[in-house]
Amino acid sequence: MHAVYNFVSGPLLWVSFILFFGGSVYRIVSMVRMAKKTDPVVYHFWSLKYALRSIFHWIIPFASENMRKQPAMTIVTFAFHICLFIAPLFLFAHIILFKASWNISWMYLPDTVADIMTMIVIGACIFFLVRRLKLPEVKYVTSCSDYVILAIVAAPFITGFWTFHQLPGFRIMGIAHILSGEIMLAAIPFTRLSHMFFFPFTRGYMGSEFGAVRHARDW
Amino acid sequence: MKQHSLKISLIITLIMMLMAAYSAHSQEEDVKTVEDDAFTEQMRPIVPFLHDEHNEIAEIAECGVCHHVYDDNGLLSEDETSEESQCSECHLPAKSKDKTELIKYYHNQCKNCHLQRNAGPIMCAECHVK
Repeated sequence: MHAVYNFVSGPLLWVSFILFFGGSVYRIVSMVRMAKKTDPVVYHFWSLKYALRSIFHWIIPFASENMRKQPAMTIVTFAFHICLFIAPLFLFAHIILFKASWNISWMYLPDTVADIMTMIVIGACIFFLVRRLKLPEVKYVTSCSDYVILAIVAAPFITGFWTFHQLPGFRIMGIAHILSGEIMLAAIPFTRLSHMFFFPFTRGYMGSEFGAVRHARDW
Repeated sequence: MKQHSLKISLIITLIMMLMAAYSAHSQEEDVKTVEDDAFTEQMRPIVPFLHDEHNEIAEIAECGVCHHVYDDNGLLSEDETSEESQCSECHLPAKSKDKTELIKYYHNQCKNCHLQRNAGPIMCAECHVK
């Protein structure tokens, strides 16, 4: 157990950090270059004003027509994305590990709040899964990779919840928690989880084209 | 008869004194948890720690292995130990508002040693048992 712990919390952690940060920079740079070559129109039409206007409307709950049409999805997706970031970054147990490794610390959430946020993330993942399985229009555009991505995101939260509550087998789950977190981080730049940093560009371009060219709203 | 009862009283007194001495002794020596007055807010359950049993299993004979003292130059003192003081007395400067500071030292003390020796608990829940 000690050797496994040392390995997943040492070398493997660095591999995942390098893949996440290095991979993100690589993906953004190569996308910028590729767009210049194959899609110069993106640069031609890009407008910061209309880009920000569109982004603004899509990061506020119910500020777009589509979100108003899908209230359940809107609530779940906003709750999911907020909890997905806040819970792990401000978790007491994680702060303690940052402090031990790099001697840095910041504010943390009460455990009960983090616990509820974790349950929201897990619940939202179940919601997304059922949606993909049941709704015909979603099922139609779903491929195997969508389920894999969903599992990659859900795993650190399920294992974290398991470990925190000290359910049977929590030692193995603790190792699985570290490992699944690393897999998620490493997967972000190389899967559709990359919408984490591509979102402002795709949304921004839509906003630019709709605003400056078509003179229409895109929300 | 009088002499007999005097003898009994003496024996009882002696037994009681021995018991009192033993209990005082065991209270002093028999550490069962890791506690520090500086931890005013409990974020996790208190760690059970059987001092004597731990040291027997870990084969720690010298107090200074855990109860260390560093001199002004930051060097480990070889002939001084600190079992009379709590960790927070040195490791939590009065000015520090960062509660994670003292936690870091406790974790370093236990977990790092366990990792180095490939023995003993290392996961959160192995020590902070609910």
